[in-house]
Amino acid sequence: MIRFEHVSLSARRASGQVDLLRDISFTVPQGRILGLVGESGAGKSMVGRLIAGLLPEGFRITQGHIFLGDTELTGMPPAQRAALLGRKLVFIPQEPLTALNPLMTIGESFAEQLEIIGMARPRRHAEMLRRLEEMELPQPAEILQRYPHQLSGGQCQRVLIAMAFAAEPALIVADEPTTALDVVTQANVMRILARRQKANGTSIILITHDLVMASHVCDEMVVLYAGEVVESGDARTILAQPLHPYTQSLSGSTPKLAGEAKRLPTLEGFMPGLGDLAVIAGCRFQERCGIGDARCGQRRIELQQMDGGRAVRCLKVGVPLGDAAGSVAADTQGHGEQRAGQADDSPLLRVRNLSLTYRSSGGLFSWGSRANKALDDVSFEVYRGECVGIVGESGSGKSSIARSIVGMHGECEGAIDVDGISVIGARGEALEQLRRTVQIIFQDPHSALNPRRSVFRLLTQGFEALPPRARHEMAAQLEGKVAELMGDIRLPPSMLGRYPSEMSGGQKQRVNIGRGVFLAPKLLVADEIVSGLDMSVQAQILNLLKELAARYGIAVVLISHDLAVVRYLCQRVVVMYEGRAVEQGPVDEVFLRPRHEYTRRLLAAVPSGDPGKPWPVAV
Amino acid sequence: MEQGVAGPQGLPRKNAVLRALQSLSPKAWVGLCLVLFAVFVACAAPWLAPHKPDAQDLLNMLLPPMWSANGNLDFPLGTDGLGQCILSRAIYGTRVAIVVAVSAATGAMLLGVVMAMLAGYFGGWVDRIIGYVVDLWMSFPPVVLSLVLMVGLGTGVVNVILAIVLVDWTRFCRVVRSDVIVVRRRQYVAAARLLGFGHWKTMWREILPAVGPLIITLFTLEMGVAVIVEAILSFVGLSVSAGTVAWGVMIADSRDYLHEAPWGMLTPVFCIFLLVLGCNALGDGLRESLDPALREREKEQG
Repeated sequence: MIRFEHVSLSARRASGQVDLLRDISFTVPQGRILGLVGESGAGKSMVGRLIAGLLPEGFRITQGHIFLGDTELTGMPPAQRAALLGRKLVFIPQEPLTALNPLMTIGESFAEQLEIIGMARPRRHAEMLRRLEEMELPQPAEILQRYPHQLSGGQCQRVLIAMAFAAEPALIVADEPTTALDVVTQANVMRILARRQKANGTSIILITHDLVMASHVCDEMVVLYAGEVVESGDARTILAQPLHPYTQSLSGSTPKLAGEAKRLPTLEGFMPGLGDLAVIAGCRFQERCGIGDARCGQRRIELQQMDGGRAVRCLKVGVPLGDAAGSVAADTQGHGEQRAGQADDSPLLRVRNLSLTYRSSGGLFSWGSRANKALDDVSFEVYRGECVGIVGESGSGKSSIARSIVGMHGECEGAIDVDGISVIGARGEALEQLRRTVQIIFQDPHSALNPRRSVFRLLTQGFEALPPRARHEMAAQLEGKVAELMGDIRLPPSMLGRYPSEMSGGQKQRVNIGRGVFLAPKLLVADEIVSGLDMSVQAQILNLLKELAARYGIAVVLISHDLAVVRYLCQRVVVMYEGRAVEQGPVDEVFLRPRHEYTRRLLAAVPSGDPGKPWPVAV
Repeated sequence: MEQGVAGPQGLPRKNAVLRALQSLSPKAWVGLCLVLFAVFVACAAPWLAPHKPDAQDLLNMLLPPMWSANGNLDFPLGTDGLGQCILSRAIYGTRVAIVVAVSAATGAMLLGVVMAMLAGYFGGWVDRIIGYVVDLWMSFPPVVLSLVLMVGLGTGVVNVILAIVLVDWTRFCRVVRSDVIVVRRRQYVAAARLLGFGHWKTMWREILPAVGPLIITLFTLEMGVAVIVEAILSFVGLSVSAGTVAWGVMIADSRDYLHEAPWGMLTPVFCIFLLVLGCNALGDGLRESLDPALREREKEQG
């Protein structure tokens, strides 16, 4: 349906022309799904913009052709091209909430879309109802009356998918359609998307960073790295036997729900940016590749055709990576040690019958207030040096627990004890003590780090908070302590003067973690610290947290929606559903033999690392 | 106050000031030059002015500027109805304008920012009370309010400053408060609190630096406003005491000879125009170069 033939996209820089995308070729036949997989900076979203013909200023196609069906898109007049959008060619965006006009009801937005494709007014309402029903949305008539903010993210995304299919397009480009959704919703949305696609015979390009998810949904897959196709072929085969070292690392650095728990191999370094691309003569992955040699860097590597319709851009196909085999053994050992010897200890954190109710006043003309129970009778313990995961979908009360533990919800009921300090109602000395015992790491390092502080001043924020006498005592060793901490979080000392805006997401998250452990807390609350990071960066951060916790004997409460992450890091898990802790126990036991219905649903929603297992299934 | 941590953090901070200066837009440079020029003129008035501001030359009344037909080189911009040198009076008038501009803006800034910090940071009833006071205050027409204050306080430069501060602090309070509320909700402020920062330290170290650019911008704009308000008050004779030279006084004096000697009015009006333009350009330029969000967007586009 769509065909890319040796397309190169160039950006004009001061240094000359740089190929942002180089020699991209792929075909999506009628009724097939192609996965376009890569991390941020790989250029995958640029492919989407190429198809739409909406290139940012200064970018132009220097080589190749794009065909939609039999018509060539490259070189087509802009007006003709724009007429294709929304009719033959439809986009499903990443952020469903921002893609819908907040001032229009769903019905109005939908009707507008139907007007564009030329449907007569009287037929529109019935058509909208039918399309929404196909998306398994309950009470479609009511949804048409609502505004986007009154729907959940999953509902909005289904509405957008319904609108996309309403045009009966030849091609749908879905750019990270489920990244903003949690696991259960993602499974449902992907299942519905796949079913509609089969029924209508539409072609889809699915742009995603999630290799595992893509391999389940897609027929074919193209893996991009730094603007080049590094591997392409049958989606399931690529997940089962990745050939390119980059795909292998990407697949390896994804935590799995099944199989033995071993240390995640990580990719060090960064994907080359625009400036670097101009000076790299040979393989763009060579710098981070474990098996490359001098030959790889000399000249451009061509895409080699392999058996079974696969293609790889690598000279070393078949050479095993052999990454960190030694550390795997060492690490599993440490894992076991950690678990032993804590049973007899008293718990570090004891949460008893914790309840939290949000009250929203009903406004000027209504009496009383509405109560919304965020937490309902939650109890659990965390022992010294242990890592406990709290999982659940968004709105299940995970983050409320995190905030309650550090004392951000003074209004909660029940009891929280940390190392003998009662958190609820702590004041004065007890509060000071508490601040040094418990630290929280927020989800988004970008907003959790003051943009006006340098790395040095961020890391020493805990020092600034100390009372004057304690500060005086510590002042002499401050520099040494910071240097040691920089080593711990694996940042070069030269970065001490940097500001958050000058760092990558992974580096910021390291500083965020470093700040949290500066005052040597006994308990660290980590709230979704790896969501929003690329897979290879996520693996680095997870390994870092694991190491630091083991080295300093810090207990960790890890809040996450990603079960595989929890399995990788934690010994015990608490499953939250609608404010209640529905199941808790050792990770392996809960994940292998779930007892509660909800835990089973949650587990079924995670795409399996085994491409043979069917996904997405109804959950 | 925090001697212990001054060493290592001093360096990046100095760099930040340097970077801010380097990133100043042309507009801000124009404004800065105009304002600095006015400050220089005010300081060096006795050496710059050809005459004493109150020296009368009754033989040379209502002289035109020196470049017109009957101009006199002794009086470059001519004389007024009492034979006083207009250039000298304009130069000395700069002193009142600058003193009032700087002190009134400083006073309004201090009062407004303190109130805004308390209201925005603590919220709740503190915010409500300060909000009511500001609303009440702003519902008086500002000129009437300042006239009433001047009548009550009596004339004099100090009282003019006080009147402007009491009228204009609400402007700071309103704008800064809304910014404080936004910053207060940022996660890094919560993070600082959870690291053990007290209220005072959080306000001083986390919130004030974030609203600093806004305060600086408002400050320069307020300087312009203060110059105008002072001119209005001295125009109606409610500002400085009788013997002091101010631009508003010059405008008021020149009304009687407006048709015979328009330069008597044009000179102080032009002075006010230049100084206010300078303040506004500086404020606007600073806003662009100090606001990190704006700066980052520019960087992305560039």
